[in-house]
Amino acid sequence: MTSMEKRLQKELQAMTKDPPAGVSVNTNSLSSSLSEWIVDIEGAPSTLYEGERFQLGFKFTSRYPFDSPQVMFIGPNIPVHPHVYSNGHICLSILTEDWSPALSVQSVCLSIVSMLSSCKEKKLPPDNAIYVRTCSKDPKKTRWWYHDNSV
Amino acid sequence: MNTATGTSSPSNDDRQSPNDDDQNGTYECNICLETANDPVVSMCGHLFCWSCLHQWLETRPNRQTCPVCKAGISKDKVIPIYGRGNPNPQDPREKLPPRPAGQRSEPETSNPFQNFGFGGDGNFQFSFGIGAFPFGMFASTFNLNDGRPGPPLPNSPQQAEEQFLSKSAWGPADGIWHVAAFIVERHWTGGKSIFQ
Repeated sequence: MTSMEKRLQKELQAMTKDPPAGVSVNTNSLSSSLSEWIVDIEGAPSTLYEGERFQLGFKFTSRYPFDSPQVMFIGPNIPVHPHVYSNGHICLSILTEDWSPALSVQSVCLSIVSMLSSCKEKKLPPDNAIYVRTCSKDPKKTRWWYHDNSV
Repeated sequence: MNTATGTSSPSNDDRQSPNDDDQNGTYECNICLETANDPVVSMCGHLFCWSCLHQWLETRPNRQTCPVCKAGISKDKVIPIYGRGNPNPQDPREKLPPRPAGQRSEPETSNPFQNFGFGGDGNFQFSFGIGAFPFGMFASTFNLNDGRPGPPLPNSPQQAEEQFLSKSAWGPADGIWHVAAFIVERHWTGGKSIFQ
């Protein structure tokens, strides 16, 4: 078993045994090497996204956890949020330059739930149209410009 | 705390057994999540396997931060931990010698201006494009049929280069950067120089 698989196995165990509120791993989605996961998340109570369900797609390279996972919203329901593009790409610094190997699937999911929770107005990113037309399929290839710490 | 493999119960014994510590992750490496092997601790108190921390420090040599708390960290500022078990402890930092640094030699520069303004070399035009910014904006805005390739098709390799375009948002000032980035990118992907 590679170190990436070992670590993901541990994370999976912890998340299925003691899942954080509103976050659950879709175990049917897991590939045998654990390199792809789907995680179901729920909008937190008394937030704009209360009652909504979303899916996050995770892809890991063999360099995980030194290399950040690719994380994006997938499926029919993409949250309308100033940092979430309509193709599911998420502008969140811990997914690229602020990634640390001490972060995990669980901490990424919680960060995303919390990013949704602090939203005050459901609206698309201002550059959504041009981004979605021109971006790479892999959000990690985007050179994000992080400037808004409020949401 | 009762776990699936529950070997002890705190209600019977107030002291935690070492096994509980192990299960709670007290001595787990913060990177591989296994019990730390060749353990080292940072000045900020975070525990790692030396091999895991070493790999992280190599990953970002210019920005070495603690994976847990982002405090500054370096090879010389971590403390190896020697338990009782090993009679001849060896500093783990010496066990795994840092890999030799990559070597980079400068290209031969007999005449640095040799290609100035004439070459089709994408890298070279990278800087040239920025210098010609106002012209570039004009050209890219109005001379649409100038023979340069159009926007890349979805999933084409060229599209990957378009990452320059991507920003989380653009205010008035950001708009300028978008245009500048766009021109640079045209040059970068091998488009014909606007000055030819």
